[in-house]
Amino acid sequence: MRILIIDDEDDIREVAALSLEATAGWEIITANCGLDGIRAAADGKPNAILMDVMMPGMDGPTTFRQMQLNPEIANIPVLLLTAKVQGVDQRRFAGLGVAGVLFKPFDPLTLASQISATLGWKD
Amino acid sequence: MPGLSPMILILLLLSIFLLGVLTLRQASRTRDLQRELDRLHETLRRTREYAEQQKAKLAQRSDLDTLKDEFISTVSHELRTPLTSIRGALGLLTSGMLGDVDPKAQNLLRIAASNTERLIRLINDILDLERMESGRAPLKLRRSSILDLAREAVDTMTMMADSASIQIELACSAPRDSIYFDADPDRILQVLTNLLSNAIKFSPAGSTVWVQIHSDMNSLLVKVVDQGRGIPADKLETIFDRFQQVESADASRKGGTGLGLAICRSIVQQHGGAIWAQPNQGGPGTTLWVQLSRSARVSDSGAPEMAVQGPGERGEGLVLVCDDDPGIRVVVAEQLRLHGYEIMEARSGEEAISLAREQMARAAGLTRDAAGSKPIAAILLDLYMPGLSGWDTIEQLRESPVTASIPVVILSVIPPTERSGDAQGWVQKPFNENLLLAELGRVLRRRSGAGRVLLVEQDEELAQGILAGLREAGIETNHAATLQQAVDRCMLGPPDMMVLDLALPDGDGFSLVDWMRRQPTLRGLGLVIYSGRDLSEAEMHRLRLGPTEFLNKGKVQPKKVEELVLAMVHRQRNEAMVT
Repeated sequence: MRILIIDDEDDIREVAALSLEATAGWEIITANCGLDGIRAAADGKPNAILMDVMMPGMDGPTTFRQMQLNPEIANIPVLLLTAKVQGVDQRRFAGLGVAGVLFKPFDPLTLASQISATLGWKD
Repeated sequence: MPGLSPMILILLLLSIFLLGVLTLRQASRTRDLQRELDRLHETLRRTREYAEQQKAKLAQRSDLDTLKDEFISTVSHELRTPLTSIRGALGLLTSGMLGDVDPKAQNLLRIAASNTERLIRLINDILDLERMESGRAPLKLRRSSILDLAREAVDTMTMMADSASIQIELACSAPRDSIYFDADPDRILQVLTNLLSNAIKFSPAGSTVWVQIHSDMNSLLVKVVDQGRGIPADKLETIFDRFQQVESADASRKGGTGLGLAICRSIVQQHGGAIWAQPNQGGPGTTLWVQLSRSARVSDSGAPEMAVQGPGERGEGLVLVCDDDPGIRVVVAEQLRLHGYEIMEARSGEEAISLAREQMARAAGLTRDAAGSKPIAAILLDLYMPGLSGWDTIEQLRESPVTASIPVVILSVIPPTERSGDAQGWVQKPFNENLLLAELGRVLRRRSGAGRVLLVEQDEELAQGILAGLREAGIETNHAATLQQAVDRCMLGPPDMMVLDLALPDGDGFSLVDWMRRQPTLRGLGLVIYSGRDLSEAEMHRLRLGPTEFLNKGKVQPKKVEELVLAMVHRQRNEAMVT
C-alpha cells in the first residue's frame, strides 16, 4: 500500500508517516500543501490520501474538490485528518464526498487500522 | 316663572343640591380611580422596563457566549495540532516499535504519554461542556431502553473494573415495559460510563459497584453505588461543579479532568432530569442518583434548538411564587413556565396565604367552582417583604391543615440560616435558573414520595435485616436507634413513613408520637408501630398519626414489616400521583 500524507505541519507528517510505516509497513509519500499534494497524487498514484483540513493556501476541502476535477486522481479515496471535532464541521466534511474523516490527535498505534477500517481494507 | 309652585321649586333646588354632592363624590372617586390607574401604569412601566433590561442582558450574554464559543473552539484546535505530534511521537517511542529504550527513560516516556492523554481528555471535556452549555449540541432524542444503556455502560467499563479487581453488578427492579424513555442514548451512555468510571476509580480492590435501575410512573431512577472512601457532606454538591474534586491530588492521581460530573449534570439537566450524590447509609461509599423523566420533557437550557414546551401541555405542577418585587416574580414565573410548571403569583405573604388556602380548598373539592383545580405543589417564598415576613408566612401556612403540607422553598438574598428547617428548600438570590429548577425539583421529588422510610428500632440486628430488605426494594431508608436520634433525623427532613419500635433506650415511642403530632410536617406521617406486646384500644388511639398500622413483634416476622411498609409506600405514591 502506498499512502500520500498532505499536511503543512512537518512534525505531524513525520509522526504520521513513521506510525504508518512502523505499524502497517505501508510506503509513505508526503506533501506540505494542497498544490504539491495534487502533484504528488498524480505522480505517485497512492492507494489513499490522508489530508489535513486547515492548510495555508488551498485548504483540505478545496484541494479535494480540485482532485475530483482531475480524472487521473479523482478515484483515489481521500481521508481528511482534522483537529476540528465540532459536529457542524463533521457534517460539512461528510457532505464533501470524502471517504472518511479522522481526528487529531490520532493514536499512532492504531492510525493504520483506522484507515483500513474506514476504507474497508482487509489487514 | 309664575306657574311654578313652591313645592316644585324646592324639589328642583334639592335635586340640584343632590346632583352637586353626587358630582363632587363622583369626582373624588374618579380621582381615586385615576390615581390607582396611574399606579398600575407605573408598575406596568417598571415591569416592562425590567423585562427590557433583562432581555438586553440576555442578548448581550448570548453575544458574549458566541465569542467565547468561537474562542474555545479555536484554542482547542490550536492545542490539538501540537498535541498530535507529541502524542504520535510518544506513542511510537513507548510502544517499543522503534527499538528498546532504557527502563528509566521508558518510565519518563510513560509519564509524558499518560499526561498527554490527560491533556487531550481535558481539552475534549472542556469543548464538550461548552458545546452543551451553549446549546450547540442539541439532543438527538430516541425512544431508548435504560436497561440496554446500563448494560452497554457496564460492558464498556468491565475491563477497567477487572484491572482494578472490582466487580460490577447490574440490577433492574423496573418492570419490562417501564424501562423505555425518550433520550439521547449516546449522551446517557456517556453519563453512565462516567459515573461507573468514577465509582471504580474510588473503590478499594475486591469491592463491588452496583448499578440499580428503578422506575415509577413518570421517571426512571438509576443508582450507581460504590463502597469507596465516600464524599464529605460539604462536597456533595460541589463535586458537580467544574474542576471540583474531593481531593486536589485526585486529578493527577486518578487521571480525571475534573469535568466529568459537570458534564454528567449538564447532560442530565438537558434531559430534564436531576443528578445528585448521597453518602451510603450505614456503610462506606457513595450513591450517585440519576433521575430521568420517561417522557421527553427536555430542558431548554443550553438547547435553544429544542422546542420549548407549549402552554397546552401538562406541566409538573402548580407553583406559587411569592415576592414583593414584580421583576423577580416575572423572571421566576417565566423560567418555571418554560419548564412546564404552572404559576400563581402573590405580591405579599398575606396574599400567598389566602391564595394557597383558596386553591387547596378548590383542589380538594371543598368548593364547588373550578372542577379539576390543581393543588399547589410548592411555594417559592421571599423572606423580606413589607407586611408579613417570609417566616411569619410559613408559620401561618403551617397552622392551617389545608396548607400545612405544601413544601416551601425560600428565595432569599441571605444564605440558609439555622431556621432553614422551617422550609423544605432554599435558593439564594441572585440565583441561576438551573439552581432554582434543581432545588424545586428536589423538593417536589421528595414530596411525590421517593419513599423515605425512617426505622426507629434499638435492636441493631433486627434493624439491619429490615433495612436491607427495604433498600433492596429501592426504598431510601434511615435508621435511628434512640428517641433522640429519631427526633434529630426528623428535624433534618421529615421522612415519608416511619417504622417505630415502642421500646427505646431513652424513652418510649408514645412520647415520640406525641412530639411528632406537634410538628406540622410530621402530623400526617404514615406509621407502622412494631411493638413487643399487644396494645390496648386507648394506646392505639394515642399512637395514630396518619395511616397507622400495628404489628406485634412476637407474632410476625420482619419480612412482614417490609411487605407492609412497601404496600403503604406504594399507596402513598399513588395518592401523591392522584392529588
